[in-house]
Order: sequence, then C-alpha cells, then structure tokens
Amino acid sequence: MLDLTKVAAQVEGMLATLKSGRDERQKRLQSALDVFSCPSTDVEKLRRKIEMSKTTWLVARLVDGLSQRYPAPPIPAEFNVIASDGSHIDVDRHRSTRCFLINTGSVVLSYGDKPDASLDSFPQLYATDEELVIAPPDGSGREQQIEGPLLGIKRGVEECRHLAELASKMPPGSSTLALLDGTLILWGLESNNYPDFVKEALLTNGLLACLDDMKKLNNDRRLAIASYISFPRSTDVVNTLRVSLCPHEPADCDRYCPTNESRACDAVATILDRELFSNSLSEGERSALFISPSKVQKQYKDHIVYFFYLKVDDEIARVEVPEWVAMNGSLLNLTHALLLDQCRRGQGYPVALSEAHEKAVVTGADREQFWELVDSSLVEQHMSTLCSAKSRSKITRWI
Amino acid sequence: MDRIGEVIEASTTELAAQCYELYGVPPLGSLVKTADSSLELYGIVCNAVTTSLEPGRRPIARGKDEPSEEAIYRSNPQLTKLLRSEFNALMVGHRKDGKLYHYLPPAPARIHSFVYLCPPEEVKEFSQSFGFLNILVNAHLDISTDELIAAALRQMSRAHQERHAFLVTAGKELATLLSGRFDQLKSVLGRLKE
Repeated sequence: MLDLTKVAAQVEGMLATLKSGRDERQKRLQSALDVFSCPSTDVEKLRRKIEMSKTTWLVARLVDGLSQRYPAPPIPAEFNVIASDGSHIDVDRHRSTRCFLINTGSVVLSYGDKPDASLDSFPQLYATDEELVIAPPDGSGREQQIEGPLLGIKRGVEECRHLAELASKMPPGSSTLALLDGTLILWGLESNNYPDFVKEALLTNGLLACLDDMKKLNNDRRLAIASYISFPRSTDVVNTLRVSLCPHEPADCDRYCPTNESRACDAVATILDRELFSNSLSEGERSALFISPSKVQKQYKDHIVYFFYLKVDDEIARVEVPEWVAMNGSLLNLTHALLLDQCRRGQGYPVALSEAHEKAVVTGADREQFWELVDSSLVEQHMSTLCSAKSRSKITRWI
Repeated sequence: MDRIGEVIEASTTELAAQCYELYGVPPLGSLVKTADSSLELYGIVCNAVTTSLEPGRRPIARGKDEPSEEAIYRSNPQLTKLLRSEFNALMVGHRKDGKLYHYLPPAPARIHSFVYLCPPEEVKEFSQSFGFLNILVNAHLDISTDELIAAALRQMSRAHQERHAFLVTAGKELATLLSGRFDQLKSVLGRLKE
C-alpha cells in the first residue's frame, strides 16, 4: 500500500531540484532559440553536416529549412476526418486461458453541407495457437509470442488497418484526413531487436501495406494520413542545433567527445523540441518539415516518416506523415488545415481522435468483466478454470 | 404507426424507452404503446430527458462563437451520436385478445420491445373510458400528478372531434375521483385550457 505521507517529503525535494535548475534551463532555451533563428545559419551546410555526422543522439534530417513557419491554409467547404485508436487486454499468464483482446475504436466525421458522424468499436479476441504467435514463414526458427510490447505494436498495426478500411469507404472526389494517435514509426521493432520475419509481418505486410492502400486511394480522392503526438518529448530538432554548435566537421561524438565532458553542444542540452517551437511558432502555424532519423525507417520505402510541429493554443503537437503526404503540397496543406480545425473543435485535441479513444478505451472494470466472462463460459462448458495461486491471493486478501 | 423508440427499462407500473432520434420524445401526456406476443401495453408519457450517452461525460457549452444552435450541431456532427433522449411512460392499461382494459397489465414490457406513438383513432378508442385516471391520480412520480393528468387529457382531447365535450366528461370523472380534494381538482381543471 502506498504511504503518501512518506512520499510527500520526496515531492518537496523534487520541487526544490526543479526550482534550482530553472534559471539554467531558461539560459539553455535562449541559446537554442538564438541558434535556431540565427539568420546567418547556412541551412544547406548544416544539412550536409547532419548527413555526415555520427552522433550518440538522434538528429532530424532537414528538408525545407530549419526555422521556416507556415500559416494555416484555408479549410475546404466539404471534408471528412476519420480516425482509429485501440486498446487491448494483454495475455495474463496467471489466468486459466491464454488469449488477448484488441478493441479498436473508429470514427468518421463529415463536415459541410451534410454533416454526419459514425462512431463504432470493434473488439477482436485472439485465442487460437496461430493467432497468439508470429511464426516464421518457412517453419524454421522460434515463433514469437504476441504479448507485452509486441502486442502493443500489433495493436498499432490493427489501428492502421481499420483506418485504411474506413478510408476505402470515403466517396470518390472527397477530401479526407485520416488520423492515428501517436507515432507512425514502429520504434519497438527497432529497440527490441525482433527477428526479420516479425518485422516483415508487422511492418512490410502490416503497417506499410495499409499505407500503400491509402496512398493508392489518392487516384480518385484526396486522402492524407497523419499521426498526432500531443505534448511530445522528442529532441530531434534541438539535436540539429547541437550539430550546428559542434566545432568539429563533421561531428563524431565517440571520436571527439568520448568522455562527454564540457561539450559545446551542451549549451542546448535537455531542451525539448516543443519548448523550442512553443517560443518560435505563432498560433496555428506549422514548422518546417523534418525527417525522423529512426533506424527502422530504412524499411519504410515509399512511406519514410516526415514530421512537423504545429502550434495549437498553448500546446505544441508533433505531426508525422508519410513521404507521399509530406511531398504533396495539397495533402500537406489539407493535413495542416484540418488538424488545426479538429483541435479548435475539440478543446485543443483533435475531436476525431478523442472520440476514437472513447470508443476504444478498455477500463479496469471492463478488464475484470472480460475475465469473468471467459471464466464463467469455461465453467458452463465444464472446463478447467485453474489460475495461479498468486492471482488468487490478489483477489482474496486476508490478514 | 409511428415507431419512436425501444424499451430499455421496465416494471409493472412504468417503462423507460430510448428514442431513435435525438429529441424525438413524444409530448408529455401522450399515449404510447408496446407489445409482446400476447399483450399490448399502453402507457402515458410522464417524463422525458436528454443526456449524455455516457454517464461520465457531461456536455459542455460550445456556442460562444456560433451564430445559432443549429450551427453547433453542424460544426460538431458527433454530438447527435453522443447524446440520447429517453422518456418514461406510466402504464395505464393493456389489450388482451382484442379487449381493452384500463388497469395495469399482468406483466411488464419486455426490454427492447418497440414503442409506438398511438394514432388518434387508437387514442380515441382508449379514452372512451376514464378508468386510467385512477392510476394517474394515485401515481407517485417526480412530476406533479396534476400536471400529468391535465397533460394527458389535453393530448387525448385532440383525438376527439368534440374536444370540449370530452374534457367536460373527463372533468366530471375527476370530480368524483378527487372528491374532498377541491384544491387539486381546481388545479387540474385550470390546466386543461390550451
């Protein structure tokens, strides 16, 4: 049981640390802003330096400059916004049955002469041996159990699959923005070092196949897809400033700064991209385009993930789009204009995403009811409902 | 017949129904009907409410920069899917084997059975007898029974060509039922005028 009285003193200590670092942080932010908006920065030279540098942190690649700002384009008279979001119940090894559930919420909002809305949810239970693993196609090697972080990635792919389905139902000639919550980059595939067949199943045949489908829909309609990250913690753009500040040509952290002591780039250390753009963008404006430096991007082919920052009220959001949206002025403008419009209609957060979340959410009570349903169905069929002693001890507490 | 909603809660004395259309609630006092395989059940609308579909999500004011209420719904098309209208009906009679009874049905309505707004001919047929008034007079509701009785009689009178004659007959019936409760009688009669 959490003893809050013991925590309170530690919270005070945390506040004291934050207060003492405030001035230093403000100084670093100012340095970052100075470098960022310095008119004499040679962007082309910086772009080349970034391409050649070897850094221990991820640096955004520049596309159309560094400190460019774009005002919001006008919104079309008629348009749709579609979104999907997911929630899941993970495999619980203490339970009698091995299974997981993904609940996907989907939303279609139509604006203009005939406003309409459709809000729906699609729960899908995965319980067969084939559904619970990703197996190597040739039968060699170890299959991967879908649970924990891998289930999180699979859920993201399912969200995109639902979104592609929604997009395919939009009428020819329409203008639509398709939205996902979070990132388009499957970071987990990179960090957890999964075998190639897992990457192929979830990325090539999963996310990228859905993005392919959506790209093709642009033959007879205008369809942009974007993912939206509220309150992002990324530092990719600030890291371009670190490269700019680095006295070495090109930067090479391991070679020149192996001990990480008194580096010139520390002048902007710990500053977040959102702090930089919060002080440089005006309401409704978007930043320049950048390319995410993630390694997993190498497999994204036509769908390399670009991103920009958008200022809505007091918030800076990070918006990620595939290359075919970023490089198409009409789709990029549609994304910028409709996202801003969605945020204004939704108290600062896109309405379609917030409704998709509401349809997808699985509460603690839902989880309990789900397992009760599973157990009671087993009992009806006279099947074993043996669960772990640990799980029983949590349900029945005693002194 | 006008199908307006579906039963979502039912007891011997009352039913609650969700409307198919937002704000599609029948007028206070109107006669509604639902049925199962052997019975038709009649109720009088005694309350209506429009709320958020989810108890934890309260609507917020949205119209500060909108020119009209309609514009709010146009700008936020999801609203019609997040709000719902419900109404309650007090059970006042039933029909079994073609015969009409002005007292409580033997069993409550079934959940998900359809609710219809009774057409004028059926209202006229039902209001040939005032047996149901006794149920209204003795009902314990959030709404004052005087209001409900008057609303029901006003609604029913529209199905009759001789509206005034109908109301006079109803008034006489009430005078018997409310004998000794002069204030209440006066209050109901005062509310019969339109």
